[in-house]
Order: sequence, then C-alpha cells, then structure tokens
Amino acid sequence: MTGQQTVPVLSAEGLTKRYGDKTVLNRATVSINQGDLKVLIGPSGAGKSTLLQCINYLVTPDEGHVWLDGKEVNPLRKKALYRFRQHVGMIFQDFNLFDHLTALDNVSIALVRVKGFSREAAQQRAMTELDRVGLKAHSHQYPSQLSGGQKQRVSIARALAMDPTVMLLDEPTSALDPELITEVLAVIGDLRKNGMTMLMSTHQISFASEMADEFIFMEKGVIVETGPPQKILVNAECERTQQFCAKINEIYGTSF
Amino acid sequence: MMEEVVFIYYDVLPALMRGLVVSIKLIIPSALLGLIIGIIAGALRVYGNPLLKRCADLYVILFRGFPLVVQLFIWYFALPHIGIYLTPFTASVLGFTLCSGAYHSEYIRGAFLSIKRGQMQAARALGFSKLSMIYHVVFPQAFRRALPGCGNEIIYLIKYSSLAYMVTCIELTGEGKIIASESFKYTEVFMIIGAVYLILTSIASWGLHRVERRLEIPGFSAFSM
Repeated sequence: MTGQQTVPVLSAEGLTKRYGDKTVLNRATVSINQGDLKVLIGPSGAGKSTLLQCINYLVTPDEGHVWLDGKEVNPLRKKALYRFRQHVGMIFQDFNLFDHLTALDNVSIALVRVKGFSREAAQQRAMTELDRVGLKAHSHQYPSQLSGGQKQRVSIARALAMDPTVMLLDEPTSALDPELITEVLAVIGDLRKNGMTMLMSTHQISFASEMADEFIFMEKGVIVETGPPQKILVNAECERTQQFCAKINEIYGTSF
Repeated sequence: MMEEVVFIYYDVLPALMRGLVVSIKLIIPSALLGLIIGIIAGALRVYGNPLLKRCADLYVILFRGFPLVVQLFIWYFALPHIGIYLTPFTASVLGFTLCSGAYHSEYIRGAFLSIKRGQMQAARALGFSKLSMIYHVVFPQAFRRALPGCGNEIIYLIKYSSLAYMVTCIELTGEGKIIASESFKYTEVFMIIGAVYLILTSIASWGLHRVERRLEIPGFSAFSM
C-alpha cells in the first residue's frame, strides 16, 4: 500500500451490447491512463468498433459503465452526456466530415455550435489545428476536393479543436490507399509524442507495435488477452491470439 | 380583327391583371408556408418521437389522399357548419398550404434519409444535441437535396392555385372564366391565361434554378452520394 493509485483517464467496465440474440460485445472492460496509447486488434467483426462506440454512447450499451476522470457517465442525463462527448474525441474509419462545409468550417462548427465560441475565435482555433495537421493551405476546400488522407487529417483537427481529454480512433487508416496511410499515421504519431491519451483500433500492426503501450486482442465481442505489444505478438498466452498474430506475422513479416 | 384587339385590350387584359394579382397573392404565401410546414413535417417523420411521427404521417396521408378541390370545399363550405367562417382567400391559402406541405414533406423526408449516418455519428461524438445536429449538420445538406423536388411542387402549386375560383376566390382562371362565358371567346381568353401561367412557372423555375446554383457546393449534389 505504498503510492496513491492514479485514476484512469477513461475506464469502461462490463460493456455489453446485444442485437437480438447476437451478443456483439460481451462484458468488455478497459481502462486508459494519462498519456497511454492502447491498441485494439482482432479480426473484423470482433467488436472493436462497437466497443469504441459504446464508450462514448454513440451506441448505447445494454450493460456496463463508463468513467471519465473518475466520474461515471450517466447516459440518461442528456446535457451531461453531450458534455462528456466533448471531452472524448472520436475518429472514424470513413472520416465522416460534414460534406457541406469547408475544412475550416468542419473544424470550427462544433466550437461555435457546441462550445459557444465566437465565429472569429473558432476560426482562429480551427486554423491552428489545421496547421498542426499540415492542412492550413487547404482550409477553404470542401471534403470532395480533399484526398482521403487529407480528410482524415481534417477529422483529426476537428476532434483536437475540442480539447479532448482522450481520443478514440476507429481504424483511422483502413479506408485509405497505402501511400496515404503514412501521412495519417505521422499525425497520430505526433499526438502520441505530445502525450495524447488514445484508444485505437487498427490493422497497422507494425506502427501500433512501435507506438502502443498495450495491445488488446478481441474476438467475437470478447477481450481475449491484453499485454505489451511484443508479448501479444510473439508470446501470446491464448491460442486464438497466437493464431491471429501468426497470420499478421505472415502478412507483415516478423519485424517486431 | 380590330374588334378582337379592342376586346382583348379593354376587357380581357384588365380583368386578367386583376386576376393575376390575386393569383400571386395566393401563390407566394402558400408556397412559403407550405415549404415551412413540409420541412417541419418531414423532419418529424424522420426524427420525431413515435407520437409526433404518427401525427405527421397521418397529416401526409390525409392531405395527399384527399383531392385538393374536396379539401377546398371542406375549408370553405363545410367549416361554417361548425361555426368557422373563412374568407375565400383564406380558405384557398389554407388549402394550398396544407396540401403543398404534405408533398414537400415527402421530398424533405427522402433528403433527410439520404444523408450519410456517419456524419450524424460524428456530430454526436462532438457533443451536438440532436436538435442542433439536425439543424446545423443534416438540414443544410438535406435542403439542398430536396430543392429540385420542392421546386417541382412549387411549380405545381402555381398551377393548382387556379382551383381557388371553385371557392369563389376569383383569381386568374376565375376572371378568365367570367369574361369568356360573357363573350363566348373561350379560345382567345384561355390561350392568354395559359400563356400567363407559362410565364409564371418559367419565372419560378428560373428563380429556383438560381437558388440551386447559389447553394451549390463542390462535389455535393443530389447525385454525388
């Protein structure tokens, strides 16, 4: 009983989601400390997206609890839920930019409409964030005029502008061409270096194994195993994890 | 020949001008109010709670299902039986607005449904309330998609405004009918009236097209989903 226990920035306990009699997420428990990057791996349909979406109640879990900075989130209190979501940045596989707005307005709209910034202050802040992801020069372009990698970087700027405590990234590079993946990974790498707390699902194993503090392997809605990347990739305890990682090693080479 | 010109110049045109003014006074408020009601009903049908959704659905079923003439007769001839007296003008605007709104709501509903779900997830993840998300994120896009359909309905409204004379609101067609039956010059009178409606609908479609162009966003149209 030596030190004081640090409260995780974000924790979720027993999250369960069922559609009909199919359980897509089964009693999932995760917690993330300040500055951590935890990476969800596992086959498609393992429940990684559902877990991320249940954490900020975009999908309402049937069971389970979520805490941010030690305070439990009550999804029935709408105002509090909206406030909680402002602290949890979310990045989607398909970017989900607002098609009718320029890059600048995509980043600034929530500052104005949700946080109550003045238009000028919001645009100024948005410009700073666009600059941070290297897109200052594209601020007046519409989503249809941007490449996939640029769109994803705008969506990261949009999330960052809200000053999130933690970020959830749902396969941020899965919809991108190979040569666009690096530019997005570079931005995520920068976030990591600047101490952003993140939970990310990805298939970019080599990037993840370099960056992550912990791998969380999921399958069939269940968290099967967690541990440091090297351990999971090379010495996983569960047979299923070993099989999945063997496949990955086969595809990406055993360069870790 | 001279007699024709004199007839058209001294009898037909002043009457038609009078009628035209009434027609325009019917069309403009009906088009605007109809669009507003259509937007509200369309939004409720997509995003409303079950009760509001049912109410909006019922509204559309009734007002798209009843012939417009019957609706006008009900507003003007039937309401007095329960003590409500509307002027011919008010009854007409009410009838046109409610009928038009029901059709608009269908275009608006389709446009709301066409907006990608992911954008709504993104808005909610940023902390938007449902209403604010609909108003600031979904509606600006849905409106652009609905515009061609809604424009169509407005053009149609211009023409069915000619039913107002059935409830004694004497607009363009009504004036024409009076003057034609007095003079028996049906062909001349109704050819002119037809041309006037053609001019009105042409102006409207030009205006609607301008609005569409004005609201155009690169890469965003009814066809780029």
